[in-house]
Amino acid sequence: MKVLIIAMYHPELVRGGSQQVAYELFQALRDMPGIAPTLLCSADHNSPAMFKSGARITGFDGRPDEFLFLSHDYDYVWQKLPLPLQAEAFVDFLRRLQPDVVHFHHFMTYGIDYLSLARSALPAAKIVFTAHEFLTICALDGHMVRKTDGALCDKASQVRCHQCLPQRSPEEFFLREHWMKAHLAAVDLFTVPSRFMIQIFADWGLEAAKFRHVPNGLELPAPVRETAATPRNRFGFFGQLIDAKGIHVLLEAVTILRAEGFSDFSLEINGENMHFASPQRRQEMEAFFAKEAAKPLEAQHVRFNGGYHHSQLAARMARVDWVVVPSTWWEIFCLVISEAWACGRPVIASNKGGPAERIADGETGLLFQLGDARALAETMRRAATEPKLWDKMHRAITPPPGRAEMAAQYLDIYKDLLGALSLAAQ
Amino acid sequence: MSEGGKKPAKGQALAPVPPDFDEQTYLRLNPDVLVAVAEGKFRSGREHYEHYGRAEGRLAFTPGGLPRDRVIITARPGQADAAPRVPAGAIDAVQLSASGGLYVIGWVNDALDRLDAIELYVAGWSMAFSAAGLARTRRPDAEKALGLQQPHAIGFWGFLYAGQRLMPGKCNLVMRLKSGAELAVIVSIEPMEDLALRGVVLQQLAGGHYPGPSYFNAVAAIEAGIGEQLVDFSRMLTRRAVSAPYIERFHQPGRALSGSVIVCLFGKPDYLILQQALLARQARAGAYEYIYVCNSPELAERLQKDARIAHLTHGLDITLILLPENAGFAAANNLAASHARTDRLLLLNPDVFPKAAGEMARHLELVASAPPAQTRLLGAALYYDDGALMHAGMYFEADRCPGFAMARREDLTLLRVEHYGKGAPAEDAALLRPRFVPAITGAFMSIARDWFETLDGFSEDYIFGHYEDADLCLRSLEAGQPAFQSDLRFYHLEGKGGARQGQHEGGAAVNRWLFNHRWGALAARALMGPSPSHEALQGDPA
Repeated sequence: MKVLIIAMYHPELVRGGSQQVAYELFQALRDMPGIAPTLLCSADHNSPAMFKSGARITGFDGRPDEFLFLSHDYDYVWQKLPLPLQAEAFVDFLRRLQPDVVHFHHFMTYGIDYLSLARSALPAAKIVFTAHEFLTICALDGHMVRKTDGALCDKASQVRCHQCLPQRSPEEFFLREHWMKAHLAAVDLFTVPSRFMIQIFADWGLEAAKFRHVPNGLELPAPVRETAATPRNRFGFFGQLIDAKGIHVLLEAVTILRAEGFSDFSLEINGENMHFASPQRRQEMEAFFAKEAAKPLEAQHVRFNGGYHHSQLAARMARVDWVVVPSTWWEIFCLVISEAWACGRPVIASNKGGPAERIADGETGLLFQLGDARALAETMRRAATEPKLWDKMHRAITPPPGRAEMAAQYLDIYKDLLGALSLAAQ
Repeated sequence: MSEGGKKPAKGQALAPVPPDFDEQTYLRLNPDVLVAVAEGKFRSGREHYEHYGRAEGRLAFTPGGLPRDRVIITARPGQADAAPRVPAGAIDAVQLSASGGLYVIGWVNDALDRLDAIELYVAGWSMAFSAAGLARTRRPDAEKALGLQQPHAIGFWGFLYAGQRLMPGKCNLVMRLKSGAELAVIVSIEPMEDLALRGVVLQQLAGGHYPGPSYFNAVAAIEAGIGEQLVDFSRMLTRRAVSAPYIERFHQPGRALSGSVIVCLFGKPDYLILQQALLARQARAGAYEYIYVCNSPELAERLQKDARIAHLTHGLDITLILLPENAGFAAANNLAASHARTDRLLLLNPDVFPKAAGEMARHLELVASAPPAQTRLLGAALYYDDGALMHAGMYFEADRCPGFAMARREDLTLLRVEHYGKGAPAEDAALLRPRFVPAITGAFMSIARDWFETLDGFSEDYIFGHYEDADLCLRSLEAGQPAFQSDLRFYHLEGKGGARQGQHEGGAAVNRWLFNHRWGALAARALMGPSPSHEALQGDPA
């Protein structure tokens, strides 16, 4: 079986969740007998050195079966690439490769119409599309967070979208929805890493029966060797320091705890990309960390550790008891939860999206009202003070899905689709 | 009136001067003569009296001095101005285009002494704009400077299409008033591109500050001449624009076609690829060819690329016609129709697409099966994005404007085109009932090609767009074929498919004037209101 996996960016050129998952899948499929995977990742202005004169698609760093799609002049408004030579090169690539399955993990930097283009180039191939966010529905980075008041959005409409992006008319959003759906019609099967997404796509008008739930799988860090530390009052944040990850909620919770006179805890912030945060949030974080660092050592509760490599993850996890995920958007799956669990760390998370679906509140972790710093402060205080709570949750953690498990699920899907095809042929 | 400054004709007898004529008294009684003498137009008061004053009945002496506490008349009314006053005024610009479009704009204070003509004397040619044909506007800037208390439209502008190349250069320009008073100035004529000049004039038409209800008076302003000149000028530009199109076809040979979709693009290139994606999902999408004709030359490269991508992605038969200038909606569609390969033309706006997956197929079935009277000229129900009905045929209403606001003009009536069902609930049975209607919109117009050719297509007299669709429907009605409103359902994101500027508003004003001019009488007789009395529109087709 030949499988073409299409991702936005190569994870070694630009880091990010969807390309990471696509690459994990590619690697896992390569280890499976009878499966011939090919990887096509885009590169754009972020990786100018990858461009070769006159080339539209090229190889990557001497690796077999890995290719770069050289994208430029992308139209982010309509999500399309206005370059016929790229489209022709894509069609040639598909026809030469003749994959049985074309599996898209993203369409940005190619264009949503590349779904239709793939269908037109390979009428018999099966097209799988994995949604790692809601970019088809939401023009605001696919986050589905209302720009008007920061509330989570559970339903797009032309007027609601126009309210978030007032420079675009309601009619434009109406057309955008039809344009997106016209191309999504080429997809044989959708997959999502979290079940809650299916309802949102179904409410938007896609057929729920065409969706499958496949959790993201990763090569996971080894479990941390536990010390018999009590109390369990050390909290950690892992991830990008961008607005949607909700660090501001966590820092506010710390302020509330201190104001209440509770200071028997510590918090370690691990992450980078603060420059992608909004100026206001960035300023808040920097001011907080500076003020904290100026305090006498015994009065410091918050420590900013900066970014980390995957190999440092276990060591950083070992320094905390709880991992906090205070995201203020529909956190889609949350690979950090998988990493925390792999290290035996229970998670305290906002009560929406992927975390709410994965964590059984009060059993495998604790949920708090999304965006509510006071609720988070109360939850942290309970976690730090309630005897045996951590031990109970630590024991209840189930191992997160790994790379091979995910690949096996996808393989079943491919086989089902192709089986349906061969049945139809008979 | 005295012929101030002019010598009497040769041989004319001079009146005898009375013996008690007193030069001093005559000049005191006739200050205009005093001024004329001071200016050297007459050698003396006596000379003026001999040539004019006596004939005019002017007093030459006051026996015993002036009577006290009452006015005495020393000349007949209207004759007491030996040197008519030079009016206050200025010329803002005189512009001349390569093909002979001539535009003048300025102001003159003719509140008391009305403007008669604007004369231009240029090396090699001359012409005079009659004041009756000029548009008059308010000029708050000049009014303020003059300290005018009563509002008066002292601004003017005029346009003429000479139809030949004229040399620009220095121009003696004379603003002549009814009294004969004149203001002469020397101006440089500014040479312009034809298209640029049309833009300037249309922008002035739309943006001028007209007295009273501004829109009405903008339309009224062009009635006495400018309208016809503009239509003439624009028609020449249109013919030029469609004479050298670039045509490229993206298709696989051998496909049987049943219909020709024609889409006129303007300003926004995205719609080609968006509309193709939406149409491609339709049943029988491949039974149509798709002709995109573009009035925006700056989009050429982009559209070529997009058409290529769309054809590669969806495989539909696309013909791209690129025009070097904006030829307007009518001429662009006429040109596209002449390149169609089928007997059925389906004109769509770029922001029109089917509401359900079967509409394009249903359209072909309807055309094949319904009586020809119901398919020759066929419309659809159009919907807004918000779910409400936008169009279920068109009818006519009249807007009236009282003439008192318009300085001696008669009351003005202008036809207004209305859509049945604009904003109505989606499922209004009465509106959706298939029936004959006075007109249908050009946003969705399905028409038998032979009938389109019999009607000579759209009238290219309309500038840019607007009203040519209703015009075609009324010509069809007059020829015995009223438009038929079907129950086909399409979306129309009205007004979002193109880009409009000030000059397009001006074009729309010209078109409204033209449409009114052509169809006002018929409409008044039999086409007014949503239930018009015209006999061809009576009865139920079912």
